[in-house]
Amino acid sequence: MRFRNLATLAASLAFAAGTLLAHHSFTAEFDQNKPVKFTGKVIEMNWANPHAWICVEVMTDGKPVKWSLETGAANALIRRGWKRNDLPSGTVIVVDGWQARNGSNTANVNTVTFQDGRKLFAGSSNQALPTK
Amino acid sequence: MFPRFHQTHHLLLATALMAMTGSYAEGQIPRAANGKPNLQGIWKATARAAYDLQDHAATLDMPAGKGVVVGGQIPYQPAAAAKKLQNYNNRKTADPVRSCFFPGVPRIMYMDFPFQVFQTPEHVAITFEWNLVHRLIYTDGKPAMHPSESWMGDSRGHWEGDTLVVKVTDVNDKTWFDMAGDFHSGALVVTERFTMLDADTIRYEAEIQDDKTYTKPWKISVPIIRQKDADRLYEYLCQAEVEEANGAFERDPITWYPPVGTPTKTPAFPAGAAQSVALPEPKTDPSFPRTADGKPNLTGYFQSDSGTANQGLEKHAKIEFTPATRGIVVDPSDRLLPYQPWARKDRDERAKPYRGYDDPTAHCYVAGVPRSMYVPSPFQILQPPGYIVILHERMAWRIIPLDGRKHISDSVRLWQGDSVGHWEGDVLVVETTNFNGKTWLNEFGDFVSHAEKVAERFIPVDSKKILYRATVSDPIVYSRPWTIEMPLNRENEELLEVACHEDNGDLQHLKDVRDDYRAKIKKETAK
Repeated sequence: MRFRNLATLAASLAFAAGTLLAHHSFTAEFDQNKPVKFTGKVIEMNWANPHAWICVEVMTDGKPVKWSLETGAANALIRRGWKRNDLPSGTVIVVDGWQARNGSNTANVNTVTFQDGRKLFAGSSNQALPTK
Repeated sequence: MFPRFHQTHHLLLATALMAMTGSYAEGQIPRAANGKPNLQGIWKATARAAYDLQDHAATLDMPAGKGVVVGGQIPYQPAAAAKKLQNYNNRKTADPVRSCFFPGVPRIMYMDFPFQVFQTPEHVAITFEWNLVHRLIYTDGKPAMHPSESWMGDSRGHWEGDTLVVKVTDVNDKTWFDMAGDFHSGALVVTERFTMLDADTIRYEAEIQDDKTYTKPWKISVPIIRQKDADRLYEYLCQAEVEEANGAFERDPITWYPPVGTPTKTPAFPAGAAQSVALPEPKTDPSFPRTADGKPNLTGYFQSDSGTANQGLEKHAKIEFTPATRGIVVDPSDRLLPYQPWARKDRDERAKPYRGYDDPTAHCYVAGVPRSMYVPSPFQILQPPGYIVILHERMAWRIIPLDGRKHISDSVRLWQGDSVGHWEGDVLVVETTNFNGKTWLNEFGDFVSHAEKVAERFIPVDSKKILYRATVSDPIVYSRPWTIEMPLNRENEELLEVACHEDNGDLQHLKDVRDDYRAKIKKETAK
């Protein structure tokens, strides 16, 4: 695991959350009554704007299920020095957030925690979040 | 007695006159104050390159044309030639421009839409009518950022004699060169050469290097012609036109400009309605940079400090995932938007989840005015001769002519409106009209109609700050004009690219929420 980069990512994603790079209403898309929490393995990160997405695989009842996790904007991460391959596939993360209202395997991320316990606040939930 | 002009003044005056009248002797070209060829103006390629870069016969919706590839043929590697043929056969669905995705470079330069060039010593900016795309070419010697791949690439220019040479790097592998499926890989590097042949013609050359796709570099050469009958660009929002035509984006009967054939009336505030209040303005600090002619120099990269106005113009606490807002309404004095009663109810309805789909920015359409100034995305201001130009990172532009022209015909309605500007001392004043009424003011449902008129004041404060005020008058929605205020902070950064529509992962979710709501209402009504 690339500790330096992941630490930077933690700060960057928090920054992205703080700068509120939304282009649509999060209240309209996500349901605060549907909190989700799971451990998953990163398949890939899509460095998109206005929102980057982390695609993870979550073992559910013994079967792998894909989830799409919405974060802040790629440009905010890039301005903090991030490169496209800095969240390698295979990284195991613990995610908590809120599921989309339409019931798809899509979540607005509140926190991401690495296996060593460090927190990565990806929250694109339109709140300024602390980095630690 | 006539005042004595310095010789260079005569020269500049003569150049300016020639630029206005287009009266250049054969072979003469307009020049900027720094002596470089002056590319500023409205241009369009007339070749049929947008259809097919190579010689081609006519097919349905594709007129025949002479190719623009120097030497005639694109030197594809064998596997790439097969892929090109496959692209050609699938072109009606596979062409990225059919999906309204960014065309990339060089394709954007020879599409069948005009574009406008703005030139300063540090930048050449190109704004395109198609989808309000822009290119910002840095000519200040700064190296490419290489931050990530993008659709339009990173453009760095320099002058070689009278030719502007632009190197375009860091492109993705998703764009085509034409409707015929000519393509490239992510290894593409384009070197463009802009040479004025006379006052009204640019020879545009683009050298294509991509060792994963071709056996050798190759080149196109396309004439670009000044659009002498055009004094401004209009708009063609590709995806918005698609979604309006197929019903995915629905007309609002009150806010949208009436459809063709419907009588329009000019709405007005009732007699006795409160006027907007003129607020005191700060003096400009001596640290604010100035141009050669002594005007404040607004050039730079800015982020607005709007207190999350994109989630509400009035002050409110956090509501579910919608963050608390600072509230930037400064007039009326109660800091509330002076909605007419029906409109306040409508705003509250628009704030509900099932209406999230109806916010045009959720579809990645442009934000309108003043919202473009506080969507959470930076912008670059440029100050070329005669204009203020604003390039928004969330791809859109505003062109503000300062030559005292009148607004366009009332029946031409635009997303970003029609802006004209002038200086009042150190303050840039911009008046914008001719809105189409399709935009919202934020994700919280604040809204305007086609009757909207905006008077903006860009008040230079100090080297890092402009105070921005916008007074919005809209007698269809509001009972009186209102004013917002926020700082625009100058930062030492460069614009990146936001490919919003190309990467929009949210719209289907929002549509599902709306459709579920409609199904529920239908069921309840049927009971």
